[in-house]
Amino acid sequence: MRRYIARQLVQLVVVVFGISLLAFAILHVLGDPVLLLLPQNAGKEEFERYRHLLGLDRPIYVQYWKFVSRAVLGDFGKSWYADTPAFSLVLERMPPTIYLTLSGLVVALVIALPLGTVAALRRHSWVDSLCTAVAVAGQAAPIFWLGIMLIIVFSVRLRLLPASGYGTWQNFLMPAFCLGAALAPITMRLVRSGVIEVMNMEFIKTARAKGLAEGRVVVKHAFRNACIPVITVLGLQFGQLLGGAIITETIFAWPGVATLTVESIRNQDFPVVQCAVVLLALLIVMVNLFVDVVVGLIDPRIRAS
Amino acid sequence: MIHAITLGSVLGLISALLAPVDVSAQTKDDTIVYAIQSDMQNWDPPNSVLRESIIMGYNVFDHLAARDLKTGKVGPSLAVSWKNIDDSTWEVKLRKGVKFHDGTPFGAKDVKATFDRVLNPENKLTARGNHAKIKSVEVVDDLTARFKTDGPYPLFVERLTAQVMQSEKVIKEKGHEWMQENPVGTGPYKLVKWSKKQEHLLIRNEDYWGPKPAYKYVRVRIIPEQATQIAELMSGGVDIIKAVPPDQMDVINKSGQARTTTSPILRTAMIQLDQAGRSGANPFQDRRVRLAANLAVDVDSIIKHVLNGLGDRVATTVNPMAFGFDTSVKPYKQDLAQAKKLLAEAGFPNGIDVGFLRTQPTVEPGLIQTSDAIMADLAKAGIRTKARMVGEVGPFTNLIRDNKADPMFEFSWGYYSIFDADAIFYDVMTCNQPYSYYCNKALDDLVIQGRSTLDSKRRMEIYAKAQKLVYEDAAYLFKWGLRGVWGVSNRLEYDAPRDEVDRMWAVTPRKK
Amino acid sequence: MSTPSRVELTEMGAAHIAASAARQATWRRLLRLRWGVGAAVVLLLIIASATVAPLIAPYDPLAVDIRHRLSPPAWMDRGTAEHLLGTDQVGRDLLARMIYGGRVSLVVGVAAVIISATIGVLLGLSAGYFGGNTDWTIMTLINVMLTFPFVLLALAVIAVLGPNLVNMIIVLGVAGWPIYARVVRAETLAIREREFVLAGRALGMGHVRLVFRQIVPNLVSTIVVIATLQVAQVIILESFLSFLGLGVQPPTPAWGNMLGEGRVYMLNSWWIATFPGLAIFVTTLVINLMGNALRDWLDPHLKL
Repeated sequence: MRRYIARQLVQLVVVVFGISLLAFAILHVLGDPVLLLLPQNAGKEEFERYRHLLGLDRPIYVQYWKFVSRAVLGDFGKSWYADTPAFSLVLERMPPTIYLTLSGLVVALVIALPLGTVAALRRHSWVDSLCTAVAVAGQAAPIFWLGIMLIIVFSVRLRLLPASGYGTWQNFLMPAFCLGAALAPITMRLVRSGVIEVMNMEFIKTARAKGLAEGRVVVKHAFRNACIPVITVLGLQFGQLLGGAIITETIFAWPGVATLTVESIRNQDFPVVQCAVVLLALLIVMVNLFVDVVVGLIDPRIRAS
Repeated sequence: MIHAITLGSVLGLISALLAPVDVSAQTKDDTIVYAIQSDMQNWDPPNSVLRESIIMGYNVFDHLAARDLKTGKVGPSLAVSWKNIDDSTWEVKLRKGVKFHDGTPFGAKDVKATFDRVLNPENKLTARGNHAKIKSVEVVDDLTARFKTDGPYPLFVERLTAQVMQSEKVIKEKGHEWMQENPVGTGPYKLVKWSKKQEHLLIRNEDYWGPKPAYKYVRVRIIPEQATQIAELMSGGVDIIKAVPPDQMDVINKSGQARTTTSPILRTAMIQLDQAGRSGANPFQDRRVRLAANLAVDVDSIIKHVLNGLGDRVATTVNPMAFGFDTSVKPYKQDLAQAKKLLAEAGFPNGIDVGFLRTQPTVEPGLIQTSDAIMADLAKAGIRTKARMVGEVGPFTNLIRDNKADPMFEFSWGYYSIFDADAIFYDVMTCNQPYSYYCNKALDDLVIQGRSTLDSKRRMEIYAKAQKLVYEDAAYLFKWGLRGVWGVSNRLEYDAPRDEVDRMWAVTPRKK
Repeated sequence: MSTPSRVELTEMGAAHIAASAARQATWRRLLRLRWGVGAAVVLLLIIASATVAPLIAPYDPLAVDIRHRLSPPAWMDRGTAEHLLGTDQVGRDLLARMIYGGRVSLVVGVAAVIISATIGVLLGLSAGYFGGNTDWTIMTLINVMLTFPFVLLALAVIAVLGPNLVNMIIVLGVAGWPIYARVVRAETLAIREREFVLAGRALGMGHVRLVFRQIVPNLVSTIVVIATLQVAQVIILESFLSFLGLGVQPPTPAWGNMLGEGRVYMLNSWWIATFPGLAIFVTTLVINLMGNALRDWLDPHLKL
């Protein structure tokens, strides 16, 4: 187990290194920041002066090292637009996004776990076909469409829920559902195939052979083992979920980091973009590490090694 | 069992996170909720050109003079009277007993400190251009200030409505950085909390010198999505929204929850054509091409069909409500044949391809639809446009300022709420101004004459000449004077303000 | 399913159940194939209409007619037969825009998938075939890509490069390769040890020849299945970007930006956003159905 975690940690370091490279590349490889910062008619000397000021005239590895050594301390520079440190801007907006994605995840699980399990147990029954159909259709439905429809139905027509905003539990319902519904189909398919696979395993057969009641077999043995692939994939899906969060946050005026990033991209406010991308990636890495550890704890094969 | 534990702890964590995020004593009955599309950069009005800053500035700060929305006349506010001592000196008497939100009394020293700060070029405040004619401010006594101007300055009093009064103590002791997020004014509301890009919470200033606002709290919510804003208004979540698309007026009026109110506003819309070549060499540097663009578009039918008539066709950039507007200059009429001919004469028999910088309709109703229609008309004459959309207002104006706009770009000007032709001719259209891609020395001369003359008849003549010049030179693609559309909840009494400044203290509960 | 415990089952019974299950499975596969064929026909229709758009579109998709704005579909009150699906906010014919809009979605979908499949397959093959350090490097790269907030990356890159069709294809293409690489690597690892490959190696075949003659042919079906399903994903992502104003720029019609522009009108002129939304839905749905059918047919063991 210890070796397993150590291996995960090594990979984590490498992944973080890769992320820092990519974030650095966004600004320094794709575009010349001076071009973005200075007016087009600025003179050549002005350009050179600015390049020197920003340290852009130094070798690329020196620049990268500077970027990383500052970023480690939480210094991503000042926002070009709002004149405040990018790090505090991003950090301030992080919690709403985390709450949103977590609640979206919960909604997805609440939908997917029971349906996926039932579909697997009643394989090829009408329940299964229905679930598959819903999953395929759900994957094809654009999330923004769903968001707007939710607002029209629940806020404008029925007047049950606030159309947008942040702060009360009512504000959570529609965005969480919107995001959760987008993630549910894929999760459901994974639960289904996970359960099917597990039900065919030797130890289930053994458990049955021992005369355990079917209900206990499913709950105690099958479900737990089916969790392994589901949890792993959910960890990977977390990144996808953040993509969905951009749309959800925009529609519901949710003050999260995803909308901040989109705004900053539109504003060409690259310190904020870099900072947001790095922090979000770190978040995803942490989630995946957490997932790996959890899987390690559940999975007897890994636990034993 | 482990999965049960993890699931349980995740749920526990979530319920902990969902625990009260926002606790406040305000109730719906003593709160107005006002929605804006994008947040401002700071709480320091002289350091911003955004309309949102002006509006919020009005609610938290006061100006020396203020406009009466009913009569349209400028009257006293923090100043009670003013007079000309000579051609280039104004003396202003201030109101007694006014206090800033931090308790310090307001006096002439604050007027001086405010203008000194704005006028100092090193501070690079955007409001400087508005007051460039003021040379210095002197303190005569506690409640008297004297302004020295650079020659006669007919717009002095008008311009006082565009400068918020900030406190000397704050400027000296707290400094610029602090002022960006902490407004200390004398106005009817005080800022309680600013959650960036989310909302501003204002509370009534109980010590206000003027009439007491009806509502104790104002929540200013930032809702970027127009569809969401309308949904919020119709479901009672928001009380006042602005820039409602003309198409959506019907939906709101039929909802039973809210209604629309409209007013001609002091804002002229146009499409700038880069005559000055600030975006680089381009076809619009030729007058014939600019003329062709003006002749290509059937503006009247766009107003009629797309804006449902909510626009006042203008021949130039001068708004019908502004002093100096000349009715004798008649707008261009669509003439596609002539437009094509002009293009051919200019050396473009096959038409031209140009970039077109566009933005979101934060102040201009129906902007997207009207610009789509304009692009289609232009294409008929052979002016093929390639659109580039920059949604956020701040970056959009920055692009223009930094010479990074396209040869064509959407533009509208709210005159800083100064009802005078000078407010667009000088602030926008003279050479070296940051937001105009037009430069003509002949116009500059006229504008300088206009702002140095106190005689209003003489000024009328000068502005008539200026309008003729701009018209004949086809300086921009001229569009219309805007009419604003507001959506207002049926629980409130509120009329569309003609200067686009929403005054929250003017909102009252609706009489049953 | 009240299954009796296995001990009670006779050999006969088990065999019988197995046989009927197999029969059922075949039948089901055929049924799903029929669904797949149906989906393929619909998809072909969509592709065909997009291809010959200039011939069948009733109007120029950019022709503005401000006198007939927001007119509803033909079957509604005030609807006219001139505009079967109605007109949009500036009076452009919605049907024409739908037909043309499909071009963007399909071109982006297919082109991006070709790019990501090419990158992904090459990297997956190298990782699986060479193993060792190559494998480790590529796997790490895959992990970085999977970890990176990919939509944000795409947005940032497009914001820097400028929003247009080509940039969008490149970004979506480059961002989508890890899934191919992962699957191809796993399959390659398995095939590498099979007899015919070992035999080839013993005969002294070069690496390139070995990979492309012996291994790749065994992977084609897998790749086709993933690629098909990915086209649907890319179409949805394209509409994402267009919705945020970072995709194809107006007035060029694309389903995503039509939906984005129409969303303000959902309360009174629902058709402007609804039809492009439906188009995205139907297209991705039929592609998914077809992909699933292909998987069942070509590669029943593939888990996706």
